[in-house]
Amino acid sequence: MAATADFCRIKLALSESSPSRCSHAANFTRPGFFSLNKTELQFHRRNYLSTGEADVLRHKRRRGLRACCQAAGTGVQPKNAPSDKDLELAARAGKDRLLKVPSSRIRNFSIIAHIDHGKSTLADKLLQMTGTVESREMKEQFLDNMDLERERGITIKLQAARMRFMYNNEPYCLNLIDTPGHVDFSYEVSRSLAACEGALLVVDASQGVEAQTLANVYLALENNLEIIPVLNKIDLPGAEPERVCREIEEVVGLDCSDAIYCSAKEGIGINEILSAIVQKIPPPQDTAERPLRALIFDSYYDAYRGVIVYFRLIDGTIKKGDRILFMASGKDYYADEVGVLSPNQLQVDQLYAGEVGYLSASIRSVADARVGDTITHYSRKAEESLPGYKEATPMVFCGLFPIDADQFHELRDALEKLQLNDAALKFEPETSSAMGFGFRCGFLGLLHMEIVQERLEREYNLSLITTAPSVVYKVNCVNGDTVECSNPSLLPEPGSRRSIEEPFVKIEMLTPKDYIGALMELAQDRRGDFKEIKFITENRASIIYELPLAEMVGDFFDQLKSRSKGYASMEYSVIGYKESDLIKLDIQINGDPVEPLSTIVHKDKAYAIGRALTQKLKELIPRQMFKVPIQACIGSKVIASEALSAIRKDVLAKCYGGDITRKKKLLRKQAEGKKRMKAIGRVDVPQEAFMAVLKLEKEVL
Amino acid sequence: MLLKSSFTPLFIAIPTKHKLPNLSLPTVSKSFTQQCPPTVRQNATLNTTSLLLLHKLPPTSAYVHLPFCRKRCHYCDFPIIALGSSSSTLNKNNDDPRISNYVETLCREIKATNLNSSNNPPLKTVFFGGGTPSLVPPRLISSVLDALSSKFGMCGNAEISMEMDPGTFDAVAMKQLMNLGVNRVSLGVQAFQHELLKACGRAHGVHEVYEAVEIVKSCGVENWSVDLISSLPHQTPSMWEESLQLTVRAQPTHVSVYDLQVEQDTKFGVLYSPGEFPLPSENQSAEFYRTASRTLRDAGYDHYEISSYSKSGYRCKHNTTYWKNKPFYAFGLGSASYIGGVRFSRPRRLKEYMDYVQNLENGVVKCTGDGIIDSKDLATDVVMLSLRTADGLDMKYFREAFGDSLMFSICEVYRSHVESGHIICLDEQGRNVSANEFISLLSDEKVGYIRLSDPDGFLLSNELISLAFGAIAP
Repeated sequence: MAATADFCRIKLALSESSPSRCSHAANFTRPGFFSLNKTELQFHRRNYLSTGEADVLRHKRRRGLRACCQAAGTGVQPKNAPSDKDLELAARAGKDRLLKVPSSRIRNFSIIAHIDHGKSTLADKLLQMTGTVESREMKEQFLDNMDLERERGITIKLQAARMRFMYNNEPYCLNLIDTPGHVDFSYEVSRSLAACEGALLVVDASQGVEAQTLANVYLALENNLEIIPVLNKIDLPGAEPERVCREIEEVVGLDCSDAIYCSAKEGIGINEILSAIVQKIPPPQDTAERPLRALIFDSYYDAYRGVIVYFRLIDGTIKKGDRILFMASGKDYYADEVGVLSPNQLQVDQLYAGEVGYLSASIRSVADARVGDTITHYSRKAEESLPGYKEATPMVFCGLFPIDADQFHELRDALEKLQLNDAALKFEPETSSAMGFGFRCGFLGLLHMEIVQERLEREYNLSLITTAPSVVYKVNCVNGDTVECSNPSLLPEPGSRRSIEEPFVKIEMLTPKDYIGALMELAQDRRGDFKEIKFITENRASIIYELPLAEMVGDFFDQLKSRSKGYASMEYSVIGYKESDLIKLDIQINGDPVEPLSTIVHKDKAYAIGRALTQKLKELIPRQMFKVPIQACIGSKVIASEALSAIRKDVLAKCYGGDITRKKKLLRKQAEGKKRMKAIGRVDVPQEAFMAVLKLEKEVL
Repeated sequence: MLLKSSFTPLFIAIPTKHKLPNLSLPTVSKSFTQQCPPTVRQNATLNTTSLLLLHKLPPTSAYVHLPFCRKRCHYCDFPIIALGSSSSTLNKNNDDPRISNYVETLCREIKATNLNSSNNPPLKTVFFGGGTPSLVPPRLISSVLDALSSKFGMCGNAEISMEMDPGTFDAVAMKQLMNLGVNRVSLGVQAFQHELLKACGRAHGVHEVYEAVEIVKSCGVENWSVDLISSLPHQTPSMWEESLQLTVRAQPTHVSVYDLQVEQDTKFGVLYSPGEFPLPSENQSAEFYRTASRTLRDAGYDHYEISSYSKSGYRCKHNTTYWKNKPFYAFGLGSASYIGGVRFSRPRRLKEYMDYVQNLENGVVKCTGDGIIDSKDLATDVVMLSLRTADGLDMKYFREAFGDSLMFSICEVYRSHVESGHIICLDEQGRNVSANEFISLLSDEKVGYIRLSDPDGFLLSNELISLAFGAIAP
C-alpha cells in the first residue's frame, strides 16, 4: 500500500498567497446568531490592559523539524510535555488501533481552527501521541510536503484518522475527521461536522477569534457538537490565553473555564486534549442493528480505483462485498474494499455504527457519491436518508477560453477530468465573437474558481482567458417570466425586462478597531448596507454588512486584507436575492459592440467603470490608420468615450542598394502581429487587450 | 475552393521556355558605345514576361558598393569603411591603399561572377552606391567600369549613377567621371542647415553643398539628384521648407527625400527615440512628408516613388529595376544581388568579404539561384515593391502570375482603404475608379492598377503593405 501517498491527500484549500480567501456559509440562517446577539452587551469597556494584541504580528509558521527556543516569559507552565515513555506506550497502543472497541468507547471529533492557528500541527501531534504515526515518519512526511504546500499555495491535510488512546486503562477509538480547510466549501464543512459528536475549537492564544472560525463554530453548534476550546501557541511571547478565553466566551458564548492551554508545536497539553475528548465528547449511539445509513463527508477520484468515499456510519454495519446504494444519486455498486483511515487506508472486514471509514466500489464519478449523500444497503434499504443533503449550486460564473483556439478540446477534456473529482464544478460550451469557443463555468465561490483555473493552467498546461466573474442574476421579464442569467451577453433586452435581482450576502468582518473606518468605507464603496457593529473586546470589532455578491467577487478580500494590514478577517453567507438598479454596460470600438466586454453593473457605478474600461482599452489597442472611438454605453447612450488617434506615419525607408530582405522581414512581422489580433469591425484588437480589460473588470467591479 | 483550384492550372500554363529576344550584341571591350535594342522593344519584352519569370531573365543592372567614408554619419548603419578626415582623396597620385586594394578585390569579384547563360545582355544601368563613392579616385572607378563592361558588356546609353558627397570631389574629378561614362549624380546634400549637418555627423558643411551643386551644374551633368533627409533631430518646419526651396532653386532633375530611420546600433539609435524630442513628433514628421510632396509637386516634380521625385523623363532607371522586381547584379562589401530568384547578401565585414571573393574565384560559393522560387514569397516581393511606386501594382500581371484567389483577397483587404482614400484604384487609362467598379473591372478581366495615394497612402505604406502580406499568407 502506498502509505505516503495515501497518508496525505492533497486538498486544495486557501493559503496565505491565495488572493481571495473567504469562507462562505451556505446556510442562510444560522442558529448561531443568537449567541452573536448576546454579545451586544459587550460594548462596555474592559479594564485590563491589552498588551497590544493588534500589534502582535502573525508569527511565521514554523516547520515541523526545527527546534525552536521555548519562550519562557508567558508565565504558563508547560503541562505534561511528552516523555519518551509516553510515546513508547502510545506507540504500543497505536499498533492495536484497528481492533474493534464498543461504540461507547468511540469518539468522533473534528478540529475547527482559523488558517495558521495550528490545526495541522495539532493533528500531527495527536497522531504522534497516540502512536498512529511514528514520530520519525511524521516529521519526514511533514517536511516532504512542506515544499509542495508552499509552492502550490495549498494546504495539505489528512482526511480522517483513527487513533487508539488508552484512558484509565481502557482502549478508546478516536476518529479525527478533518474539515476541508475553508472555503467556498462550507457545505462540505457542515457534512464533516455532521459526522462528529464533538469538535476542538483551536484558537491562537495571541490572535484571538477570527471570522472564519466563528462561521465554523456556528456550523458545529448547528450540528449539536460538543465543543472543547483549545488555546494554542501558548509558548509564544505574545500569547494572552486569558484574554482570548474571554473573547471566546463573549463572542461564541462558550464556557472557557476549562479551556485547554496547549502548544501543539512543543507538545504541551496534548494529553489533556486527548483526555478531554474522551471525557466530554459523547459516544455515538449503538445502532448497529438498524439498516445501514452512512454519511459521506468526502469523496475523491482515484485514477486506479475509481471514487474513494469517506463516510461515517450512523446506523448499521458495512462489509466488503456488500451491494450498496447511494440514496440521493440512486446509483448502486458493490463495495470492493472497506477500511479505516489511520491515517493511511487500511482494509478491515467490517465496520459498525459509530465508526469512520472509506470504501471503494469502482465508482466512475464523484457525482454518483456526493458529499452529504447517504449510503445504505441495496437489499435492506434505510427508510429515510440522513438529513442535510444538498446539491452544490454554483454561485459564481466566468467564461474560460483557450488563448490558442486549438486547445478547446484539451480544455473540455481537462474540465471533464476535474469534474470527476469535483461535483460542484459546472460547465457548458460558450461561444464568444472575440474569443472563440470556450466554456461558461460555475463555481461554489471565488476560491473554487481560482483553484480550478490554476489547476487547468498548471496541471493541464492550458493558457486561458477568463472573463470577469459574474453572479447569477434573476431577470423578471415583462411577460411575467423569471429568467436566470449569468452571462451579460444573454441578458434580455431592456424592453423585455421589468427588473433585475441579484444575490446578496451578509458579511461579517472582524477587525482591530484601528481599521474599522477603512473597512466600513470599503463595504460602503461596494454598495454595502450597514447592519451592525459590535465591539467583541476593547480593541476588536465585528462589522456586519449586507452587500451584493457581485461586489464580493472582485478583489474585495484583497482589499479587506490590504486596508487592515492583514489583520481583519471575514466570512460571508448568501442571504438571497434582492432587486437592484442594474444595467448592462456595453463597450463599443469604432461603433461596433464588443460582446465579451459587456458587463452587468449597478447604475451608480456604470460611469466609473465605463471610464476605466475605455481608458484601459485606449492604452492597449494599437493605433489604427483611422481615428477609433472607444465608448462605454448603456443601451444607445454613451457614458464614457475615448478616442484612439490615427497613425500619422508608418513609412518604409529606402531599399538601399536593392536590399529588401530586412524591410520585408519587418513587414512580415507587422503582418504577423495583425494575425494575432481580433478584428472588431475594422479595428484590430490584440488578445492582450481583452485579457487586460477582463482583469481590470475583475478589479473595478 | 473554386478560386484556389483555378490557380494551379494558370501557373502551369505559363510556358517554361519563354522565348526571349536576343538582347546581347557582341561585346567590345572597353567600349561604352554599344547600341541597345530600341526602348520600345525592351518594354514589350518586359510587359509580356510574367512576373513569375521576370527574375529568370539575366540581369541588366549592377549595383557596386564603394564603402569608403571620411567618417560615419550618426544615422548610418551601412557597411562602410571610415577612412578618417586626414585622407587626401584629392591627391591623384597617391591612392589610399585601402581603396585600391578594395577596388582590386571588387574587380576580381566581377570577373569571377558566374554567368547563367552564354549570351548575357549588356548592362543598362550601373549604380555606384556607398559609403561615399566619390571618395574613390576616378582612375579606380574606371577599372571597375572596365571590369563590368568586359564581363557583361555595357549599353551605350546605359545609366551610370554615382552617389557623391559635397566636399569630396572637384570639377576635375567630375569631368573625369563623366568621361568614364558616369551620367547621373546623386548628390548627398541631406540638409541646407549647418547645425543639422553637424548634428547628424556629416563630413561637410553648407558651403560644400553649394560648391558641389555648382560643380555638378557647371560640368554639365544633365541628370542629377539632390538627396535630402527629413525628420532630423532639431529640424524645424521652417528649416525643412528652406531645404526644399533651396533644392527646387538648384533645379536638379531628381530629388530623393528620405524620412530618417533611427536604426539600432547607430549613434542616433542610442541617443534618440522616434517621435521624441529632439526628433520631430510623429505628426510633425508626417507633416514634413506632406510638405515635401506638395512643394516638389508644385515645382514640377513627379512623386513617382515613396521617396523619389523626378522631372519628366528622369526617373532613376536603376532603382526602377528594384521596384519592378527585376534581377540585378551586386558587387562589393555587404551588397545584395538578386539573380535567378535568389537574394544574396555579401559579407558586411571586409575580411569575410575578401574570403568570399576568394571562394567565388575557386568556385566554391554560389550566389545565384536556379529560378525555383516560392510563389507566395515572390508575390509578397512584387506587392511590397510595386506599391512603393506611383505606377502601383499591375493587377493583370499579378493575376496572371498568382491567380484570381490571391488577387481578390488583396482587393478584399484593401476595400475599406479605398473608401478611406489610402488606396487608389486605377483603370487601364489611369483613371481613378471606386472599389466596386474596380472589382467589376477585374472580373471583366479589364486591366487595372492599385496604388497607394500620395501622400496619405504613402505615409502609411508599412501598414498597408503588411495588410497585403497578411492576405497573401494568411
